[in-house]
Amino acid sequence: MLSETFAFGDSAIHRLDPRLRVVFAGLLSILTAILNRFPAVIFAVFLALVLIGASRLPVRQVLARLAVVNGLVLFIWLILPWTFEGTPVVEIGPLVGSWEGIRLCALITLKSNAIILALIALVATMPVATLGYALHHLHLPDKLVYLLLMTYRYIFVIETEYQQLARAARIRCFKPGTNLHTYKTYAYMVGMLFVRASARAQRVHQAMVCRGFSGKFYCLHEFAFKSSDWAWSSAMGISLIVLGGLEWAPIV
Amino acid sequence: MHISEGVLSAPVLAGGAAFAVAGIAVGLKKLDNNRIPQAGILAAAFFVASLVHVPIGPSSMHLILNGIVGLLMGWAAFPVIAVALVLQAILFQFGGITSLGVNTIIMAGPAVLGYYLFTPFIARGHTTAMAGAFACGFTAVLVSALIAAAALMLTGEAFLEVSAALVAAHIVVMIIEGIITMFCVAFLKKVQPSMLSIG
Amino acid sequence: MGADRLVIDLENISFAYPDGRDVLSGLSFKLDKGARAGLIGPNGSGKTTLLHMIMGLIPPSEGAIRLFGREMRSEKDFHESRKNIGLVFQNPDDQLFSPTVLEDVAFGPLNLGASPEEARDIAVKTLKDLHLTGFEDRISYRLSGGEKKLVALATVLAMNPAVLVMDEPTTGLDEKTNDRIVSILNTLDKTLLIVSHEYNFLARTTDDFYGIRDGQIFYAGESATLHTHYHAHAAGEVPHKHI
Repeated sequence: MLSETFAFGDSAIHRLDPRLRVVFAGLLSILTAILNRFPAVIFAVFLALVLIGASRLPVRQVLARLAVVNGLVLFIWLILPWTFEGTPVVEIGPLVGSWEGIRLCALITLKSNAIILALIALVATMPVATLGYALHHLHLPDKLVYLLLMTYRYIFVIETEYQQLARAARIRCFKPGTNLHTYKTYAYMVGMLFVRASARAQRVHQAMVCRGFSGKFYCLHEFAFKSSDWAWSSAMGISLIVLGGLEWAPIV
Repeated sequence: MHISEGVLSAPVLAGGAAFAVAGIAVGLKKLDNNRIPQAGILAAAFFVASLVHVPIGPSSMHLILNGIVGLLMGWAAFPVIAVALVLQAILFQFGGITSLGVNTIIMAGPAVLGYYLFTPFIARGHTTAMAGAFACGFTAVLVSALIAAAALMLTGEAFLEVSAALVAAHIVVMIIEGIITMFCVAFLKKVQPSMLSIG
Repeated sequence: MGADRLVIDLENISFAYPDGRDVLSGLSFKLDKGARAGLIGPNGSGKTTLLHMIMGLIPPSEGAIRLFGREMRSEKDFHESRKNIGLVFQNPDDQLFSPTVLEDVAFGPLNLGASPEEARDIAVKTLKDLHLTGFEDRISYRLSGGEKKLVALATVLAMNPAVLVMDEPTTGLDEKTNDRIVSILNTLDKTLLIVSHEYNFLARTTDDFYGIRDGQIFYAGESATLHTHYHAHAAGEVPHKHI
């Protein structure tokens, strides 16, 4: 069930220095999140689409991921246009849709899609382990990086354990429904996951201690900034400046 | 529960990020290097458990479990939840980079609150402990929803109705999380009571 | 045999689980340098507990542990002894905690003070010795059960311990991996202590075997006499040797 759908590929983006990708994803996301003008937001979506194109990811799967975000966006569309006071533009029965409400919804829709697309293109295209090393080289605290790596390592093991528990329940004719028995069963499964995780953590720690672990972590990975990385970083830098310009340049 | 990208205003995102960094810093400080494996593997269990879907009527919900994470981890809930959110963002794009701070506060704030408010009850007799555990699961989701609503309201008054709908939509979730937390604590008290005093 | 040849010397060890059940009671056990010993015992007889005690992971409630002639008193003593005694855990998923194989194999050498470059070289060489070249960048969790076991063995051998301790090394392995582990163990010039349920495996890798019963260890004979009798066998009922 768990997989890193986009992490393994051989596109120009996949080959970029992970540190550059993380930094640029961060800057682009933050800048996009605070945009207010449509030309700027549309340019942000364009940039995100260019990145997706360059990463050569399967379009169908990217769209499937966007569905999740847009589910939440839909929730806002269902409410905001009808409650936002402003110039009325549409009327459906007693509901009056305002121009300002629709504008805000459109802005949110474009922004969230741009940010998620950029995240998919730049960050989801690296294995989580690589992200961990990149964050280490970007000077995030060691503890946080190793917490991330350790969590990542064991989600797959624990997910398999959960599937086993769920299968074991199913073969004894457990059929989930809206009742106390169901919730109790799930609560016990979750409790069992925690108990097993804790026992496993103890064994993992023991195994680490047996190999001389005394609380210090080391990182073996080095990244090399290549000439193509310089080219990409200039292109990314320029695109960020254009994006800023579209938002903050005085309108003539 | 989380707020998607592109919704919140810059000051709210920045404020959320600042509080989250502070919370994570406290959590990491309280987490000895030798307990990183423990925290990481429990974080993995929390991550997997939060993918579990339980039915409600014709629909279903995924578990949130921040109440129980608070009881198990105390302040370490901050880095643990932040890491789980990063993994959700990378593996499924549930949320992105800019709302990470706010979403960490939404999930981890109530976890730590629950830890302080309800841990004393958990240690007591069966009925008190069960009531405390239910209240912990219920309150954690309630406070999460309230923080999310506050973040929306601080972004703009226009989000009043959206915020109200968000809280309302989570009332059933609160009850179910309360029930799940109650049974889960009962399970842990029987099977591995030492886990509930971690913190 | 002089006392200086003793690598493991347990004297009068007792241990009870937190719930009060006795596991080990007055157990004594000696292992000489270069010995290859197998340990057999029923589930719950305290085999794993014993191994963990030798590694200093759990303290005995009574008794003395001497390793390489030194009495072990504190965590610091054990931290030193762990450089010379390597334990391969029963479940490789407990042992392999790093995302990639190379990092996991380099973890021990790094803890012993090797520089990242040295650790990397040691890891690459160890993998090569175990015919695991090409595994460096593989993701640990995606390895097969047998591969995980071999990598777990590599993580311990990379520290070049004088004594290799293994807890149920063959659990869940196919015959091919089993054979590979046997041939690796038989080329190692190390003191061996192997806990296993598999008589055949012990017969192929060790010289002597011990049993554990009622919290005590007893010498049970030469490993060459060990094998299971699934087949009809004229001498099946009496002790005998196959040559």
